[in-house]
Amino acid sequence: MKLCIIGFGAVGMGVSRVVSMKREMLIEKYGLDISIVAVTDRSGAAINPNGLDIELLLEIKEKTGKIADYPEFGVSDISGVQVLDDVDYDCLVEVTPTNIEDGEPARTHMLKAMKDGKNVVTSNKGPLSLNFRELLEAANSTNAHFRYEASVGGAMPIINFSHETLAGNKITSVQGILNGTCNYILSRMANEGSPYLQTLNEAQELGIAETDPTQDVEGIDAACKIVILANSVLNRDVSLKDVKMEGITRITPESIALAKKEGLLIKLIGEASYDNLEVSPRLVREGSPFAVDGTLNVATLKTDLADDVTVAGKGAGSIETASAILSDIVSIWKARS
Amino acid sequence: MRLNLVLELLDVPGQLLDALDPIGKLGANIVAVIHQRDVKTERGTIPVHISIEGDEETLKRVLKSIEEMNIQIIEVDGVVMKEKITTILIGNIVDQDLRETVNVLNSIEGVRVADLNLKMSDNPEESASRIVIEADYGIKKDLMENIKEYGNSKGFLVINEI
Repeated sequence: MKLCIIGFGAVGMGVSRVVSMKREMLIEKYGLDISIVAVTDRSGAAINPNGLDIELLLEIKEKTGKIADYPEFGVSDISGVQVLDDVDYDCLVEVTPTNIEDGEPARTHMLKAMKDGKNVVTSNKGPLSLNFRELLEAANSTNAHFRYEASVGGAMPIINFSHETLAGNKITSVQGILNGTCNYILSRMANEGSPYLQTLNEAQELGIAETDPTQDVEGIDAACKIVILANSVLNRDVSLKDVKMEGITRITPESIALAKKEGLLIKLIGEASYDNLEVSPRLVREGSPFAVDGTLNVATLKTDLADDVTVAGKGAGSIETASAILSDIVSIWKARS
Repeated sequence: MRLNLVLELLDVPGQLLDALDPIGKLGANIVAVIHQRDVKTERGTIPVHISIEGDEETLKRVLKSIEEMNIQIIEVDGVVMKEKITTILIGNIVDQDLRETVNVLNSIEGVRVADLNLKMSDNPEESASRIVIEADYGIKKDLMENIKEYGNSKGFLVINEI
């Protein structure tokens, strides 16, 4: 299977690493021989129809930061769409940075690939939370596979889990801790009694929170995931503007202390059901499945047959996210053969 | 037929006798009474388990008379009649707000504020209040939405249970 990876940040590099690590196993177990025929970043692209050298890709990116510097096959000033036009590939891995304003350029990349009948795997929340139906219809119109497990909760299995493992169930709601950064900050505040801003600064120093933490701490990132879950798992037709959103910036040590005395913790919870789409701080009981510390993600699905099912896993990280993307690629391969 | 009840009594002398009095008078039989003074609820009241026997009409009259005495019935035959709801408000809360909030909550049918805590912060905006409410079973979701609306209208951040 020939992959075209658009976007070569932490996730794109993680996917390359994982493909390299698992090469033998994938051939042996599934008869799946993956080659990466094109990779793009802001600098341009590296394209080789016979497959790029993954170790060299990673080395060049780490050394110069520019994939266009790839010897012999590097190309500068080429757009993602141009690459998709020029290169013969089977599956697009769209992992450019999330853009929640208009979903671009990822939306254009994915639509282009789907219209050309190519399969698409992505972790990109932007177009998924803004243009979900459009993408689904584009994929259906050419019978292309479209998978996006990595977009919600990183390595925590939830989307394919709902569609495949819980097939036959009616899922009525999903509630969960869907943002690792917020959960880390709230856990530290609860354990140490420290104020919000100080804890945020510490998280930034540790690289857990970004320099501009707005998307995480205002609940926007979790809201994107709620939209994806509502559309995909609950089969609703909603967008980011439909979600009631409150982040963690107003949470104080005093409120956490009061909650603790009742055996409760404050967590940022996302909720998707047929009558509610919401991200807000909520009280959860100590010792309950939601009482997790650190950057873990957790979600509980309410179903008619299986009752409540709870999943947990690492919500972020280059290799963890790549794990979800690889499983999507393998699923597509299995469906084809 | 037999009915198992859990009543909530004040921890003062004579309460248990007063509660049991109408049962016999109305013609029902008391089968068992479990009264442990060291097990207490949120407000320091005592849950008392009582099993009574009688025909349906008699038992209905007994339940009615207990309610008329303002004794809380927490459980009937294992079915919980009351549930506890905790909520936290964050913001510049002053005692006026607390009084108002408690009055608003207590005026809702089947709702009673059981506990109230306030933690003041150096920065008034960061003060927090915890309210524990006992409500009739089944109204939790609507009640939480009401509290959220009410709190938001006063500029507080409302943190409800999941």
